[in-house]
Amino acid sequence: MAVQTDELPRKSRILQALEDQNTSVQFDDALESEMVLNMGPQHPATHGVLRLLLKLDGETVTGCVPELGYLHRGYEKLAENCTYYEFIPHTDRLDYLSPLSNNVAYVLAVEKLIGMEAPPRAQYLRTLISELARISSHLLWLGSLAMDVGALTVFMWSFREREKMYDVFEHLVGARFTTSFTRIGGLAHDLLPDAEKMVRDFMKQFPEQLAECEKLLNRNRIFVERCDGIGLITAEQAIDLGLTGPSLRACGISHDLRKAQPYLIYNDLDFDVPVYEGGDTLARYYVRMGEIKQSISLVNQIMDRLPSGPIHAHEPKKVLPRKERVYTKMEELIHDFMIVNFGENPPVGEVYQAVEAPKGELGFYLNSDGKGYPWRLKIRSPSFTNLQSLPMLIQGAMISDVVAIIGSIDPVMGEADK
Amino acid sequence: MSSNDKMIRTKDLTFLEKIYLPEIVKGLFLTVRQMFKPKVTVQYPEERFEPPAQFRGRPVLVHENGVERCVACGLCSRVCPALAIEVQAAETPLDKERYPEKFEINMIRCIFCGFCEEVCPEEAIIMSNEYLLVFQSQEEAVFGKDKLLKSAEEMRPRLEFLRDHR
Repeated sequence: MAVQTDELPRKSRILQALEDQNTSVQFDDALESEMVLNMGPQHPATHGVLRLLLKLDGETVTGCVPELGYLHRGYEKLAENCTYYEFIPHTDRLDYLSPLSNNVAYVLAVEKLIGMEAPPRAQYLRTLISELARISSHLLWLGSLAMDVGALTVFMWSFREREKMYDVFEHLVGARFTTSFTRIGGLAHDLLPDAEKMVRDFMKQFPEQLAECEKLLNRNRIFVERCDGIGLITAEQAIDLGLTGPSLRACGISHDLRKAQPYLIYNDLDFDVPVYEGGDTLARYYVRMGEIKQSISLVNQIMDRLPSGPIHAHEPKKVLPRKERVYTKMEELIHDFMIVNFGENPPVGEVYQAVEAPKGELGFYLNSDGKGYPWRLKIRSPSFTNLQSLPMLIQGAMISDVVAIIGSIDPVMGEADK
Repeated sequence: MSSNDKMIRTKDLTFLEKIYLPEIVKGLFLTVRQMFKPKVTVQYPEERFEPPAQFRGRPVLVHENGVERCVACGLCSRVCPALAIEVQAAETPLDKERYPEKFEINMIRCIFCGFCEEVCPEEAIIMSNEYLLVFQSQEEAVFGKDKLLKSAEEMRPRLEFLRDHR
């Protein structure tokens, strides 16, 4: 059918052609129909393998269903077939942005179950590594949130600082990423002089670098307007959902396990808990920036007060013996074989030990039947619980704000999926 | 809380900050200044970083004058969380009586946790400072004794670290 162009001043040629053939074509009004959008699991802004099913009305999100489990490795079940000692490297892979806090949380739970305590120097060093892990985790969060809202420079700068931090870990722990540093009853090895110097040097230059990042963001109109008033949650809703960590403290609730149930040596240290009102993305940004500053002060306090002494508890049947004694003494050699082959054999019972990890309350529940393997190990991971709040935070937001909201609650899928 | 910084919301921005142009200049000043600061990047293939003694690189077996220290007790393969180590013992006329006939570490499975080194009663398996691992096939990634053995002199920094700090 030949259609002359000049005969059709208004209608397009294809529409005219359809009408000519008497077809029954209906055109939907885009604003009246809802659309379902899959965001993730491979979207770069979802921070890992988080999948979000979004129901959209135009660009407004009217519903959201997060789907988890893409990184499920069955760690809780795996733990039932590992001795308490063997499970330590697995904790690195939960929240892989702050492996040191996971190491500390796990050994604290096992020590509580056995009923022993690490010596003071080990307690100080564990506090030190927890705070360093908090700084490193928050630095990554800062970079990725800034990048999510379009500030690429801050991302580069915070990753540079994080790189320096990993160099410190290399000397302090012996590995950059998968640390496996804590041991039941102590630590893998003591703080070496070169590592001590590196921590001090890093802490000397770091506040200045952080201030530069803040200069780019705090009064930046684009950043402030992108973050202001999105992802709102009230204090009551946050408590109902079991939100912990910086996201809870951004709702005006001053709940920090370091103050509420002091563990390690937090009782002896002087620090504030940053709390902000508002419950939006901007408030969460301020809480985390405040926490980095508090952690800097904590690290400096610990470095100044670090006591000398042993770093292993004197419990020959529970703690792996020192190497030079294994080489020369029969008793220690036997303990070495017994602990490795049959495990720590803690008394029958159950414990729950939680610490304030960078993301919130990280707890390990252990149930022992007196054998070398845990009968049950449950991980209360903050990312998993915090992700529950996502549908509430995203409701009514624009699709471009979804990215900033996910960034602001800082989920790590290794921990959420376990 | 006294130490809290004041939160700056959209309504707190001044007029100059809202029109944004002076802010762009300020921001550019901050970023351009970075060009004159020392660089932190390591130019990798030309520049290599030297790990400290406490660094956990790939595990190696220590030998003295061609005889490995290992007595094939199998403790490392028992403790390995990734089940990467396979040891097969055999008898030898030497003083140590047993030696590993076959000692294999699957480097694809290895997670560099250092537990094998920590439990070894003979200081026979230790973590080296090597971090460059390249394989072209799965078979190539299973390291036998030929690739694992290193002399004690070569491994001196790590052995000294172990003696002083473990």
